[in-house]
Amino acid sequence: MAAAAVVRGIGSNLSKHLREVRLHLCQISAASQGSRDFIEQHYVTLKEANLELPILIRECSGVQPTLWARYGFGKERSVSLDNMNVDQVAKALESLVNAKP
Amino acid sequence: MLRLPAVSRALAVRTSARASSNMVEVFVDGKPVMVEPGTTVLQTCEKVGVQIPRFCYHDRLSVAGNCRMCLVEIEKAPKPVAACAMPVMKGWNILTNSEKTRKAREGVMEFLLSNHPLDCPICDQGGECDLQDQSMMFGADRSRFTEGKRAVEDKNIGPLIKTIMTRCIHCTRCVRFASEVAGVEDLGTTGRGNSMQIGTYVEKMFMSELSGNVIDLCPVGALTSKPYAFTTESIDVLDAVGSNIVVSTRGGEVMRILPRLNEDLLKYENILSPFTHTHLQGVQGSEVGAIAGGMVDAEALVALKDLLNRLDSDTLCTEEIFPMAGAGTDLRSNYLLNSRITGIEECDLMLLVGTNPRYEAPLFNARVRKSWLHNELQVAMVGHKVDLSYSYNHLGETTQVLQEIAAGTHPFCKVLAQAKKPVVVVGSSALQREDGAAIFKAVSTIAQNSRASSGVEEGWKVLNVLHRVASQVAALDLGYKRGVDAIRKNPPKVLFLLGADADCITRADLPKDSFIIYQGHHGDVGAVMADVILPGAAYTEKNGTYVNTEGRAQQTRVAVTAPGMAREDWKILRAISELAGVTLPYDTVDEVRRRLEEVSPNLVRYDDVEESNYFKQAHELSKAVNQSLLAAPLVPPQLTVKDFYMTDPISRASQTMAKCVKAATEGAASVDEPSIC
Repeated sequence: MAAAAVVRGIGSNLSKHLREVRLHLCQISAASQGSRDFIEQHYVTLKEANLELPILIRECSGVQPTLWARYGFGKERSVSLDNMNVDQVAKALESLVNAKP
Repeated sequence: MLRLPAVSRALAVRTSARASSNMVEVFVDGKPVMVEPGTTVLQTCEKVGVQIPRFCYHDRLSVAGNCRMCLVEIEKAPKPVAACAMPVMKGWNILTNSEKTRKAREGVMEFLLSNHPLDCPICDQGGECDLQDQSMMFGADRSRFTEGKRAVEDKNIGPLIKTIMTRCIHCTRCVRFASEVAGVEDLGTTGRGNSMQIGTYVEKMFMSELSGNVIDLCPVGALTSKPYAFTTESIDVLDAVGSNIVVSTRGGEVMRILPRLNEDLLKYENILSPFTHTHLQGVQGSEVGAIAGGMVDAEALVALKDLLNRLDSDTLCTEEIFPMAGAGTDLRSNYLLNSRITGIEECDLMLLVGTNPRYEAPLFNARVRKSWLHNELQVAMVGHKVDLSYSYNHLGETTQVLQEIAAGTHPFCKVLAQAKKPVVVVGSSALQREDGAAIFKAVSTIAQNSRASSGVEEGWKVLNVLHRVASQVAALDLGYKRGVDAIRKNPPKVLFLLGADADCITRADLPKDSFIIYQGHHGDVGAVMADVILPGAAYTEKNGTYVNTEGRAQQTRVAVTAPGMAREDWKILRAISELAGVTLPYDTVDEVRRRLEEVSPNLVRYDDVEESNYFKQAHELSKAVNQSLLAAPLVPPQLTVKDFYMTDPISRASQTMAKCVKAATEGAASVDEPSIC
């Protein structure tokens, strides 16, 4: 599974580069299906590699799925996860990890 | 009487689709209406939009039928019937405004007024008195009273309730409330006929955390509010339930708090008048930290977080501890009352762990009692034995018991496995202990096991956390660290206390030349140790967002303007940010709320609860927690009623609450009251 490989690749780099990760998604809409699957399948692995990092998962009905990352000095970036599947969500996370704030 | 013809037409259309069910057709003043069998005449008329006058009937209490004001004529019946008690029969024509009905009402009103004192000009209930309103609408226009009236002695039932029993019309609402809702069977009737009296018979205090509600229930001025005597839509943030209230004010002081459908008088010992940016300009990273207290609104919390994040600091803590291990606060389902307060009415088995809901969240407890009375809810408790207002199965108070239930070896597990809708509630005070993570792991295991058992349906949530402070859930939603360990480990040079008065960190824990800034409204402990005090606004003085223990975001509104130079908390933080060189990007409340949405969208979904999931994932992570349970028994901090009155800075500053504590410990006679009443 491509997503699993990406997540393993990110590993603990997540907490090295980011201060906080936020994932907003809808509990039932089709556009958030990929995000929901990502949490079901990969959240635990990601968290176990980054126990101190806050990975806030905030479900809210009707909201467009978005991934937010906070870097040092309060700088933030966001990526829309609308209609993405699990692999694309993993790639989006990877891009935020590697991005410069 | 309000008539709403549009309503009845809509009802007729809707209900005819269910003609196959056993609905009964009744007529109200000739208009047909379909109702379920067992509906009373009064409820039927309300469905059509006709309000029948009543004193003793209350839709949340049992039916008494003793005031007789609701008498209405049924066509072709020999006597009028008590509408609140009589279930309808097929084909009845209820005449709510006929000659007989009107005569009955005038007669009852005449009797009620015959022994009622002429106190209207000095009565607190004037203007909001059911007796006044109903005598104007339904009473006779002239009196034929020439006898003498009886008088009754006043009773002392506590420092909150002023009793003038001469005005009592013996509706027995207070008696039924005390017995059914509060679970304290102290009030009753003595004597009969003219010499009937309502009271406690022996001089006893009405000792219940819900005692103030009888003031709202009493239709006349017999039971009134002692603090409010002769002296103004918001939500109550003194516990985490977020009950809806109306705040009544006079001249800038909050006079009383009335319940809104979905207690107390505040006397200000406030901080009145502020500079500090110089200290913040130099610091960075872990040199600056913040602690948020229990009554802070979400706008202030996000402003503080943004301010500190821009100074490259992540050391933002809440006073209340919540286990950090495992998934912590990543998943909302880990820290919310997932079954919701309405879910209590559906559940059939409740396990309470380390909490005393009677004094931590009295309205939650009242719901549990209602379910215990009417829906046969079984309750079991692991924790110190306390007097909840209902009976429960006390399983023990040691953590050993908890471990056994989690492992499946305790006999209670069989009961849990058979429940169709079990609910496990862990109190936030139990999670404050050093082994909080282990306790949470045990509770999570119990919840997962019972969810997996055969009877429980897929969408039902078992795990619940009952919080005690109003700002905790919002702070956790925003990503605050829980508990002040982070500050203890890396003591900062500059510490920002946002309403933090629980004495978690003292000067001794910080480096010698540290600088403490306190921002809040009723500072006791926090303000005393601060170098700078910035006056903020209390919840009645600002438009703030608070999230209750279910995860429901609600708004408070401005009821009084903040005294002196006090400002809304987020505005103070915005000003500081500008002076410190890291200007926050919002200038209006709407912009702050847009920022709240960026962090956690449920914070702006007012009055709704968002479902949260991923219990399995949370449980998996909690399994990795390596802590072991301590041997200390699970004892919640509030055990008896005297602990109920002084739990937060606003209550600690209140004279009325002090009187309550004194009365609870030494008896009602010990409290000095002025003799003019």
